[in-house]
Amino acid sequence: MRLCLAALVFVAGTMSAAAQWLDRPWPGIPRTADGKPNLAAPAPRTPDGKPDLTGVWNGPNPESIPDPAIELPWVRQLVLERQRDYHKDRPMYKCLPSGPESDRFTGWKRIIQTPAAIAILNDDQTYRLIHTDGRALEAEPAPSWMGYSVGRWEGDTLVVESNGYNDNTWLSRYGQAHTEALRVTERYRRTDFGHLQIEVTYSDPAAYAKPWGFTANMTLQPDTEMLEAICERSSDHWTGTRTEAASRAVTVPPEVLAKYVGVYSGNYLSRARTVEVTLSGGQLIAKVTGGALVDGGEIRPLVPQSQTLFEGAGLYYEFEVDATGAATALVQINITGPYRFARQR
Amino acid sequence: MRLVLTALMLVAGTMPAAAQWLDRPWPDIPRTADGKPNLAAPAPRTPDGKPDLTGLWNGPVPRPPYDAANAQPWVRDLVQRHHRDYFRARPSFLCRPSGPEADRSAGWKRILQTPAAIAILNDNQTYRVIHLDGRVLEADPAPSWMGYSVGRWDGDTLVVESNGYNDKTWLSADGRAHTEALRVTERYRRTDFGHLQIEVTYTDPTAYIKPWGVTANLTLAADTEMLEAVCERSSEHWTGSVSDAAKSAVTVTPDVLARYVGVYTGLWLTTPRTVEVSLSGGQLVAKVIVGGTIAGDESRPLVPQSQTLFDGLGLGYRFIVDDRGVATDVEEIHISGAWRLSRQR
Repeated sequence: MRLCLAALVFVAGTMSAAAQWLDRPWPGIPRTADGKPNLAAPAPRTPDGKPDLTGVWNGPNPESIPDPAIELPWVRQLVLERQRDYHKDRPMYKCLPSGPESDRFTGWKRIIQTPAAIAILNDDQTYRLIHTDGRALEAEPAPSWMGYSVGRWEGDTLVVESNGYNDNTWLSRYGQAHTEALRVTERYRRTDFGHLQIEVTYSDPAAYAKPWGFTANMTLQPDTEMLEAICERSSDHWTGTRTEAASRAVTVPPEVLAKYVGVYSGNYLSRARTVEVTLSGGQLIAKVTGGALVDGGEIRPLVPQSQTLFEGAGLYYEFEVDATGAATALVQINITGPYRFARQR
Repeated sequence: MRLVLTALMLVAGTMPAAAQWLDRPWPDIPRTADGKPNLAAPAPRTPDGKPDLTGLWNGPVPRPPYDAANAQPWVRDLVQRHHRDYFRARPSFLCRPSGPEADRSAGWKRILQTPAAIAILNDNQTYRVIHLDGRVLEADPAPSWMGYSVGRWDGDTLVVESNGYNDKTWLSADGRAHTEALRVTERYRRTDFGHLQIEVTYTDPTAYIKPWGVTANLTLAADTEMLEAVCERSSEHWTGSVSDAAKSAVTVTPDVLARYVGVYTGLWLTTPRTVEVSLSGGQLVAKVIVGGTIAGDESRPLVPQSQTLFDGLGLGYRFIVDDRGVATDVEEIHISGAWRLSRQR
């Protein structure tokens, strides 16, 4: 059987956090009485009185998805095609920069702020530069992966406008496409010492009937260092599609499916993960919540490949059953190997 | 015939310079009477009196001479193997970060300096952070592509020490390997407003008997912007090797070879290019003089594949002859196509 490897994303996405072994106290930061970093202290300011966004930050990926009704037909069609292909053309799976994709606004990053420019350094070695020297956006910049950004202060909020993106990138991990006319507006607010909120709005009338966006919530990561997370294996060689999985689907009677419904939990790498299996319209659905990676969990419809083995959007799920056919555990099969989650209820 | 594609390197290396279309005057920089940036003005300083390295820089890549006697036997073997394989495993050809490779000390980069850290942003969407907050190097850092760097000021010279490299990167374009024990020392001197000198020393006793290094000379790229140069096509599918080319070699008589000796010039992409063909020990050698991207020249021995077509380390060279067999032009065959250079003498 060909196991499909959308799982790579989890490896790439989780390793750096899991391997975050560095314990390095930061000097000169506010601390509470017990010596812990005081994340509720006031936000630091630069000599000219602006909030200073400098720091190492991390936060969960936002669940950003537009109302399908505002997607123009060509976008909707691409989203469906990409879903069928297990999203294997997602830029980060191909070891290419994520550009304006929503997940790239969160995750590990270091911000370095100077009066004339702010650098945002991502753990995948991509970076952005926001010019704060008062220049306006280029009218016709050369299209690039990371775009061209200018920022200005509006009170304590940094407002960033970006254009000049190529159309190779996506706006969400679900394959929302955009054109080279995309404009991105971000509003950065460091609400206190430990928290940074980023409101992101995408405007691209040739792709979406209305602007849409999301809010990312980042937390300062004091007393540690960011580790590199370089993509070394591209998705070029991934095989299989959802259509293939569907064409191999077998029939499992509803009373068997009902015995798999439940909540399973265990560890994936070093991270706690819970899979909630429900039955909806005769099909099993796995809702995966795992650590801090994705807000709200991801939904994976399960397509039966045998009486106990199911395909779930590129991952495989095998139910372990007792003598009565009731599931006792769920094994999630990733490219890194199988992970066993025991049934909780 | 399979022409091999080391040429990709040249495409990747030269495109951003050739496409440098942005004309954006920088405000507040010293200018000469005619309004040009005054590169000979004094170097700027930060409020605390240190030289400020901030700016957009570019310079020819230094190609350090190879002292085989200084390399340990395993390094010599690897250099030979990489040469046979047209250097296709070079990290930048595989779309991977170049890490400490000598070429990466030059080329387009933006430097951002703050009291606590310096960020060096390369045009290929990789970056380094140099910590200036007084910390010492980690004793046992997690190996990474870009290493772990700390800097301190020695008068007006920034001295940077780095360790924590993985052993996947090279130290030079010709495939000089290193171990995870590599230590890199850099000395940055902004000698005036427009010039930055970086002396790089590699220390890795299990790979090289003595430390060795290069000096990169960068010039401020004033009144413009840096453009992205993201590697999108890896060398994984390159085929052929120097020994394949040698196996398919044919014999061309010395009197025929002598008719090809000469100097040829033309354009490659938008860059002027000169190729000097000479006869040495019965073999033609092409010395390629590339406009501005490489400090010094590169030599390509030409292995005859027919009476007029030669393999030169992955590039093809086809001589165009008149009715007496005397070359009037040479076509240099890259992955980007054939580029015709006319004979000058």
